[in-house]
Amino acid sequence: MGRISTVSRRRLVQTAALGAVTAAVPLRYGRSQARPSLKLGVLLPRTGILASQGTQCVRGYELAVAIAAEQGVTLEIMLADTESNVDTARARAERLVGEGAQMLSGAFDSGQTLAIAQVAEQRSIPFVINIAAAPQITDQGFKYVFRNFPKAGALITNGLTLMKDLFAATNTTPRTAVLMHSNDTFGLAQKQAIDALFPRLSMPFTFADSISYDPRARDLSVEVSKARAARPDLMVVVTRANDAILIVREMVRQRFDVMGLVSPGSPGMYDSQFVSTLGRFAEFAISNVPWVNPNTALAKQVAAAFAQRYPQENYDGNLFNMAFSLQAALVGVDAVRRAGSTAGPALAEALRATRIENHMMIGGPITFDATGQNDAIPSAAIQVREGRQRVILPAAAADAQPVFPVPGWTQRG
Amino acid sequence: MIAARAMGGALLLAGLAAPWLASEYVLSVLIVSLWFAYVGQAWNIMMGFAGQLSLGHAMYVGLGAYAAAGLFVFTGIGPWLGAPLAVIVAVIAGAGIGWLGFRFQVKGVYFALLTIAFAEFTRILFDHITVLGGSGGLFLPVGQRSGVDLINLRGGPVMFYYVIFVMTVAITALSWALLRTRLGYQWQAIREDAEAAEAVGVPVFRTKLLAVMLSAGLTALGGVFFAFYYNTLFPEQIFAKSRSIEMILAPIIGGMGTVLGPLVGALLLTPLGELTMAVIAGLGVTNAGVRQVVFGVLLILVLWFLPQGVWPWLTQRWAKGRRQ
Repeated sequence: MGRISTVSRRRLVQTAALGAVTAAVPLRYGRSQARPSLKLGVLLPRTGILASQGTQCVRGYELAVAIAAEQGVTLEIMLADTESNVDTARARAERLVGEGAQMLSGAFDSGQTLAIAQVAEQRSIPFVINIAAAPQITDQGFKYVFRNFPKAGALITNGLTLMKDLFAATNTTPRTAVLMHSNDTFGLAQKQAIDALFPRLSMPFTFADSISYDPRARDLSVEVSKARAARPDLMVVVTRANDAILIVREMVRQRFDVMGLVSPGSPGMYDSQFVSTLGRFAEFAISNVPWVNPNTALAKQVAAAFAQRYPQENYDGNLFNMAFSLQAALVGVDAVRRAGSTAGPALAEALRATRIENHMMIGGPITFDATGQNDAIPSAAIQVREGRQRVILPAAAADAQPVFPVPGWTQRG
Repeated sequence: MIAARAMGGALLLAGLAAPWLASEYVLSVLIVSLWFAYVGQAWNIMMGFAGQLSLGHAMYVGLGAYAAAGLFVFTGIGPWLGAPLAVIVAVIAGAGIGWLGFRFQVKGVYFALLTIAFAEFTRILFDHITVLGGSGGLFLPVGQRSGVDLINLRGGPVMFYYVIFVMTVAITALSWALLRTRLGYQWQAIREDAEAAEAVGVPVFRTKLLAVMLSAGLTALGGVFFAFYYNTLFPEQIFAKSRSIEMILAPIIGGMGTVLGPLVGALLLTPLGELTMAVIAGLGVTNAGVRQVVFGVLLILVLWFLPQGVWPWLTQRWAKGRRQ
């Protein structure tokens, strides 16, 4: 028979205590050494009418992974395609949350963004918006929705104010202008915002005419002729890339010279397609949009990383969508570092206390107000110079002097 | 008949139990599936029963959505009172299109073109109605989702699921009943041969008009649900041609002119799309658009091998099995 060992109660307590201590030490040690991580569910239109912009946004999130690693956070991007569709956006958000996403980000388009915001709110998962301008998104009283992008009204206000700054900086004041805008969702929304804000901002010029057009048109000669007939000093345009090209081509053909071609907050003229297609005729076009401060360390780092990872892609053409997406990811990374947890309420609490001084955009620190909105995102005036987008205003971030009035079409090399 | 009853009963039971069994993601897919089933049934009345092709049914979704949402946003009147307004607006629009088409003998693809034209015209019109947000969109205030406010349709996914479930069951029952009425037989007679139907005394103009008006009104109710579920309306999205096409896929795949066809089609299509995506993701393919390509090929295969639709094929198989 084998010997039966007996264990006294004191011995048992001692052994248990020792075991607990030895078990707890590595646990505590492990916890203090554990690298914070974040599963970020990214919802973007990668197919459908917004696919091009969505793809540019994806590059921002992809670049954020390496930067997050340098900041000590393992960032895992979980990509989902919203197919440029509100219905799909909502279902995909539910899917990502079901698959373990700890935070959501996206979605470039206001309708899709609001659909995702409802899922985020219901599931108590923070949602950091990269790009979406409809004010209603952060005016709903959501607790888990944060937007590091200006509202539509602020975009136009900043754009128009920068025009006045441009006139002051160059001692040149146009008296009349023509507004040409696409008649799609974006173009009409900007037109409405201009109509509402223009009288309040005491602009030095008046609009001699306002001309809308179909952004899918293949010929804008009639519209440009109409604008020319008004003999404006300035052309204010709300465009996408293709229609911006058509407008400039027609202006060149009709020898229609103005003091400048300025966008108060639309894409199109900072698009790589605009610059590569028009060459010297793209020169001096001005866009007043939120932009990267090229003098920041992060902007330089991102530019280098972009060139390495996407050597075939045009940096300037991607910059707007990419930068706001990258910032959204880094806002999440910053929150997870401070929260010490990936639980939704803790992350949301950390996001509310966000204050990021070192970022890549022009403007002050990234913070969110009680509604989750960052209301302190200024615009910059950028001008095409030698095929690059150069910041001309505000002066603190400028890497080129403004040229205004611009040389006539026949005076360009 | 037995197949239909068995299938109907099984679907009803599964549908009632779904919120307890399904994850929130699956529930959201089911809500979308049932919405397509509902609007597919509404379209089926016009095309499947009466043989009048509409490729602009998104117009009625949009009109219903904007009518109820506008009333809610500007007056606080909830969707149950907004719904009758939505139906009236859509019925008037449908009656106008139907009258124009049938009065001037616009038939077949030309009638379909007329419906597309009106949908496009309405989209552009709503782009310029600034009081409803214009192209910038109309946003409904989003309430707290923890509670259930059935009066104002503010609540979580389970509430919306049961609402669309009841709507789908109701329209399926209505379709079943309609097919057995005098009007239903008249529609089917017109669908098969309008001239012959007229020769035996069927009032073709009025009967076709009734199909358009009923289909438009029911589709508008789908629009009301859409508005309160998604809480955003953009003319470019709600009136889009692509939405009109999406809406008719379920009845075409499931089986046009049958009662359960649109339901079967919708319950196959949306989950199939999600399943395709999951399989592609599981294979490590992250390229955007692959899902749509695979999904498109699957649809072509279904149409190729089952030209009458899935439900007629299923019933034939069932009948054959019973005979054997």
